[in-house]
Amino acid sequence: MMAIRELKVCLLGDTGVGKSSIVCRFVQDHFDHNISPTIGASFMTKTVPCGNELHKFLIWDTAGQERFHSLAPMYYRGSAAAVIVYDITKQDSFHTLKKWVKELKEHGPENIVMAIAGNKCDLSDIREVPMKDAKEYAESIGAIVVETSAKNAVNIEELFQGISQQIPPLDPHENSNNGAIKLGRQTSQTGRRCC
Amino acid sequence: STLATACVISGLPESIIAAACARSGQRVLHVDSRNYYGGNWASFSFSGLLSWIKENQQKTDLSDECEDWRKLILEDEEAIPLSSKDKTIQHVEDFCFGDQDSAEGVEEAGALPKLPVFGAPAAQGESPGPEKESPAAEGIPLASQESPQALGSDAARAAAGDGAGAAPGSGAAPSTAAGDSAPQPAKTEAAPSENAAQEPKKITYSQIVREGRRFNIDLVSKLLYSRGLLIDLLIKSNVSRYAEFKNATRVLAFREGRVEQVPCSRADVFNSRQLTMVEKRMLMKFLTFCLDYEQHPEEYQAYESSTFAQFLQTRKLTPSLQHFILHSIAMVSETESSTLQGLQATKKFLQCLGRYGNTPFLFPLYGQGEIPQCFCRLCAVFGGIYCLRHAVCCLVLDRASGRCKAIVDHFGQRISANYFIVEDSYLSESTCTNVCYRQISRAVLITDQSVLNTDSEQQVSVLTVPPLEPGTAAVRVIELCSSTMTCMKDTYLVHLTCPSAKTAREDLEPVVQKLFNLNTETENEELEKPRVLWAVYFNMRDSSGVEKSSYSGLPTNVYVCSGPDSALGNDCAVKQAETIFREMFPAEEFCPPPPNPEDIIYDEDEIEPEESGLNNSPETKPETSAEENSSEGGAAVTKEE
Ligand SMILES: Cc1cc2nc3c(=O)[nH]c(=O)nc-3n(C[C@H](O)[C@H](O)[C@H](O)COP(=O)(O)OP(=O)(O)OC[C@H]3O[C@@H](n4cnc5c(N)ncnc54)[C@H](O)[C@@H]3O)c2cc1C
Ligand SMILES: Nc1nc2c(ncn2[C@@H]2O[C@H](COP(=O)(O)OP(=O)(O)OP(=O)(O)O)[C@@H](O)[C@H]2O)c(=O)[nH]1
Ligand SMILES: [Mg+2]
Repeated sequence: MMAIRELKVCLLGDTGVGKSSIVCRFVQDHFDHNISPTIGASFMTKTVPCGNELHKFLIWDTAGQERFHSLAPMYYRGSAAAVIVYDITKQDSFHTLKKWVKELKEHGPENIVMAIAGNKCDLSDIREVPMKDAKEYAESIGAIVVETSAKNAVNIEELFQGISQQIPPLDPHENSNNGAIKLGRQTSQTGRRCC
Repeated sequence: STLATACVISGLPESIIAAACARSGQRVLHVDSRNYYGGNWASFSFSGLLSWIKENQQKTDLSDECEDWRKLILEDEEAIPLSSKDKTIQHVEDFCFGDQDSAEGVEEAGALPKLPVFGAPAAQGESPGPEKESPAAEGIPLASQESPQALGSDAARAAAGDGAGAAPGSGAAPSTAAGDSAPQPAKTEAAPSENAAQEPKKITYSQIVREGRRFNIDLVSKLLYSRGLLIDLLIKSNVSRYAEFKNATRVLAFREGRVEQVPCSRADVFNSRQLTMVEKRMLMKFLTFCLDYEQHPEEYQAYESSTFAQFLQTRKLTPSLQHFILHSIAMVSETESSTLQGLQATKKFLQCLGRYGNTPFLFPLYGQGEIPQCFCRLCAVFGGIYCLRHAVCCLVLDRASGRCKAIVDHFGQRISANYFIVEDSYLSESTCTNVCYRQISRAVLITDQSVLNTDSEQQVSVLTVPPLEPGTAAVRVIELCSSTMTCMKDTYLVHLTCPSAKTAREDLEPVVQKLFNLNTETENEELEKPRVLWAVYFNMRDSSGVEKSSYSGLPTNVYVCSGPDSALGNDCAVKQAETIFREMFPAEEFCPPPPNPEDIIYDEDEIEPEESGLNNSPETKPETSAEENSSEGGAAVTKEE
């Protein structure tokens, strides 16, 4: 059997850019126009193969705490990767991306993989952020970048594949969870709908 | 619009209440004037702690406080002002035992300065770059007679990257201290980790500064009893998914000037090399009795009016076993605790054994400060609104109804709510004139070795040091290793705690001197003791156990939470949260498992096991699995709906 590696991924970005929609598309291949600002659905998982490992993404969505810039450092703890989302139709949301990156550098783990997602690329006729700007910025901070559409399922899988590939292979000397204890994980939680 | 509940400050009980309220469908606003979660329950990176120290050493009296908000109070209303300066921390003294000169100009890797801001306007939170100018008088004189260089806050600033050299105020410190460019080849020390190959792992102050983000230094030092109320609540509410834990690996005792490991589980006793066969039998017999002492009243009835220590003397136990049981297992007072209290405490300890490992305790990865954040996340997941850096000026009392109807924040904005949860530290002096507070003495040390070296250097140890002099309190020591994610590699983070008699330093330094080596020039006999690299002492107000009626003029819909208490476990905070929640919403369940389909983990292959550690403690096993099933069953049932 292939080894399963748990990878925590956290999402960042202004409210309304489509963070929850991206997760929903990735995990359930589902899109909802009337998705409410994130309440609930704060924690989803999906396992994908990568080389001779299985990557089990533990995806943490913000729970609105970012709205007043009050994300808890605990949100970033132990993250292997962060997806920072902006809305290609909103220049503002690209502007604040830089603040999120700064915040991530401050609170996040050192070797975190950063992925920038320019979401809502189905709306490119009302685009405000040129792809070139995003590319340049991503390059300057060593992040991967894709334009996505949660609505039309464009580049969502690729986004997470890109992250998978950036994750350094497991150091055989290193015990992945270091003997940490998780409390009260229960069996019967399979296949529940989430958003 | 009116909120159902407003919480002010984000300590553990407030966070639990906020989570419980949001969970039962209330609209919750949670505000904190600081820029970090947890209040006095918070943890800090090293630079964050230096800023916190500096903040608490500046005893600037804000008497010229702006009271503009008074204009906003209507005629049929009354304002209950809230305190804008935290007064719960006193006597903060920090020391650096080494060459902090070389740390000048060293920057914490990858970090921006993070200033804890209390009552400051939001804009300040973001200000990058080091702070300019400092008030000359830094409050408490930091000079110490026998200790090496006292690290004043100016030095701290220098260390944190300001590099401004000798600052005013450092006159209080010995001349070797901060800033003075002592004729030292300090700068050649750039890569100490490399050239230290011959001398094992000598950590310098500049390395601590540089690796500052590896530290998560808690203001309170606690552990979770594996069957305590907090663990139960974490599991029941599913908040446990947001955190990970380490088992405490050792229980230690300090006897006749030496640190020893206390065998406490059956396996430990069996494997112990320090106990004789006879002692092993005695100890097992006594512990087995304690597990169901209620069934054998004839064994202790005659001693109910004696102390537990006296009772132990009658039980055919050697002095070292008596010591282990009294101080390290029951952890009760030799002079004050009764036989029944001792038996209860011993039983609690034994019942917690084996659930997750060989000791009864768990410690959260990244520190205790994670726990309030986890509850805040649950609250946010259920719609709670979070605002840090948001000060509250006053509560607004409606004269006619006698109820509190709103808060006014530092923007002069009024926020209405039905219930208000306020932490004790927020209440102004006029509200608290009749309140009598206790204090907790705390010390935090960064050391280079464990107090008891064994084959594994990754140990989480709990040590109780009995009173060094009669009449003083026992000191609780918790030593954390780097795999708890609270300190950098090759260091240990040591927390000392006791109820205060005097200042924290006066209370705790004698114990620090017994256990550690405070001298930079090591004498041979001292070589065995761990070296202290850095230390801070402070007193924290203990507002637990204050009756609500002792606060003057608080309306009934304002609930007060206490700050941290001095006990080892977290039962006090959980009990308080549950009590307040039940008073507010008697009909609601307290933090039930999330039934909301939106909050269910979407998962293909969730796998079970509660930990394997269960197997290594035969004495509690039957009971363990019974309880395990019931609590998990409970959670699973609710999830099914
Ligand atoms: C990660 C992060 C951390 C921040 N931390 C702090 C902080 O510690 N202290 C602080 O005072 N400010 C903080 N901010 C807020 C930021 O500094 C504000 O944008 C700024 O204070 C307002 O300046 P402005 O009027 O020039 O911005 P504007 O030009 O008005 O706005 C710039 C962008 O920020 C967004 N924005 C502004 N304010 C908010 C808000 N309250 N909620 C959501 N979006 C907003 C706007 O939508 C816009 O996209 C933070 C922002 C981010 C993204
Ligand atoms: N056209 C289009 N709309 C999208 C796309 N992704 C998300 N949306 C819409 O954008 C809105 C916001 O999406 P959310 O997923 O709730 O955004 P969010 O970032 O999670 O927002 P918060 O939870 O408030 O922080 C919703 O109305 C979505 O339907 C996309 O790819 N294309
Ligand atoms: Mg969302």
